[in-house]
Amino acid sequence: MIDPALITNNLIDGVLMGLLYSLVALGLSLVFGLMDIINFAHGDFVMIAAYTTWVIAMMLYVDPSVTAIITVPLFFVIGLAIYKIIIEPILGAEPLIQIAVTVGLGYVLQNLALAYFRAGPRSFPAPWFNYSIQIGPIGIAVSKLIAAAVSLASLFIINYMLVNTKFGLAVRATSANREVAPLMGINVRKVFAITFGLGIALTALGAALYMMWGQTNPYLGQSFSLLSWVIVAMGGLGGVMGVLYSGLIVGVLEALGSTFVSPSARLAVVYLAFFFILWFRPRGLFGRR
Amino acid sequence: MEFSKAVRKDILAVIALVLAMAAIPFAIGFERYYLLILSTATVFAIYVVAWNIIGGYAGQLDLAAFVYSSLGGIVAARLMVYYGITPWIGMFAGAGVAAALAAIIGYPTFRFGIKEVWYALLTASLVVIVREIMHMPEFLGSLDYRLPWKYMGWYWLRFPTYEQLYWVLVAVLGATMLINVWISNSKIGYYLKAIREDELAAEALGVDVRKYKLIALVTYAAILGFAGYLHISLNGVYTYKNFDSAQSIAVAIMGIIGGLGSIAGAFTSAITLKIVGEYLRSSFGAVIPGLHLLIYGILLIVVGIFKPEGLASVIEWFKKKVGWGGEG
Repeated sequence: MIDPALITNNLIDGVLMGLLYSLVALGLSLVFGLMDIINFAHGDFVMIAAYTTWVIAMMLYVDPSVTAIITVPLFFVIGLAIYKIIIEPILGAEPLIQIAVTVGLGYVLQNLALAYFRAGPRSFPAPWFNYSIQIGPIGIAVSKLIAAAVSLASLFIINYMLVNTKFGLAVRATSANREVAPLMGINVRKVFAITFGLGIALTALGAALYMMWGQTNPYLGQSFSLLSWVIVAMGGLGGVMGVLYSGLIVGVLEALGSTFVSPSARLAVVYLAFFFILWFRPRGLFGRR
Repeated sequence: MEFSKAVRKDILAVIALVLAMAAIPFAIGFERYYLLILSTATVFAIYVVAWNIIGGYAGQLDLAAFVYSSLGGIVAARLMVYYGITPWIGMFAGAGVAAALAAIIGYPTFRFGIKEVWYALLTASLVVIVREIMHMPEFLGSLDYRLPWKYMGWYWLRFPTYEQLYWVLVAVLGATMLINVWISNSKIGYYLKAIREDELAAEALGVDVRKYKLIALVTYAAILGFAGYLHISLNGVYTYKNFDSAQSIAVAIMGIIGGLGSIAGAFTSAITLKIVGEYLRSSFGAVIPGLHLLIYGILLIVVGIFKPEGLASVIEWFKKKVGWGGEG
């Protein structure tokens, strides 16, 4: 019999991690939904951002979460540059070409990190929120609680922005019809560039939150890439809410897998669920298109 | 069987290539290190030429190469170590198991119309699923399994030196190329290329899209499952880590850089990238780890943006220039 307190602990952990996954996947979902760009290097931006966070946190000796003030704008600019150099030439290309180019980009990012930082894991040695709230047998890590809260708040801010601002209107109009949007006076290229920048900026925020307790290595991005895509597939372009619910499902599945199967097989559970969802609900669980 | 002139030329080119490759050990004086690199490159050439069937002809970006090859290889290795069955039989069993897995995964996947990015994601997650299942203590656990030294010689396909295994690999590569030539010039090949170019149009013209995609996937998986034992025999070791995502993606990358649907391109890109990669790793590996992968990445971006036809277009140009008959 598995201890109910352990299950509760793992489930809480799964929900908190799920919110962070949603935050990371949101950028991917926006980019894919808006401009049909298949980015296989999304997770590698999380990895690069995690290293950047680590470097800045070590330099200033502050908690990684604080470095988001610097890394988020920085990665917005990096996102704009990547869009100009690599993404714009493959807009509208065959999926296979887009996958090839972004896999190549991921290889470049991974191996730049490997060449510079070497393979050893890096983590911040003196995190500020390294304690947990104890309620009877149940403990909640404060760092993860903060990460989840910030992620949830960011998701709602982005959702508000998409629904209520002029930029959000432009994004929704362009994703609804790319041919007609420019006729309505929308600068499509600018919308694309800003959305891509925003997506990369969100990976930087996710990385700063993750580094509050996690450690980074050059291959951190691979699992984030695949998990983000699983969330996008489940969300089925159902907007911010679809990403939020799918992220929670992934987090909870991971927790259940690690409790009932084995901690090392927790991703197998998530991906098996992904197989069945893709087979039986190809439009996703919360899809519109 | 009646062959057209183009097919005869391709078959002759494959035979010439196999003979030339088989002669290389004599040219380099059976130098062990070079033979090891050459053998590894030949293993990858088999994988990439086989990948060409699903990736190149059928246009499905399969990222699960090492699931099929490792599964087939481990089946053959286990049959040998636990039951004393020769790999000459075990490799066919491995091919069968890999093909069965491909059919189990492929049938619903193509039935439900999973394609493009979703197919790539499905196969990428298949690698993780199988690796994590194999990592459980009920299967391989965290151990490294060595093939015992007592199994040596042609009967076990294990050798104290590399050249014999290299010759076997070259023969398998030749066979894989001939399968490619046959598919490419048969009804199956024409249907697959039609599916790659425009799936809806192919279906409208009465091509059974699901069936032919499944044929391509199962053929590819069977070849990989067959060759997997040779890879394990080359390394002498197998673990759950053989189910490797990065290597699986590397196979697809080599196929794309070579040019989709080109046998010569797939072969050239696998051999060149693997040998150059090994050279870079041995020369700069201590100073700049991952340099060869960095170069693969840059190559992919450049090929994707500027030359989506890949190396094959360079080979075509070369053929026209000197009137050289290749096997593509």
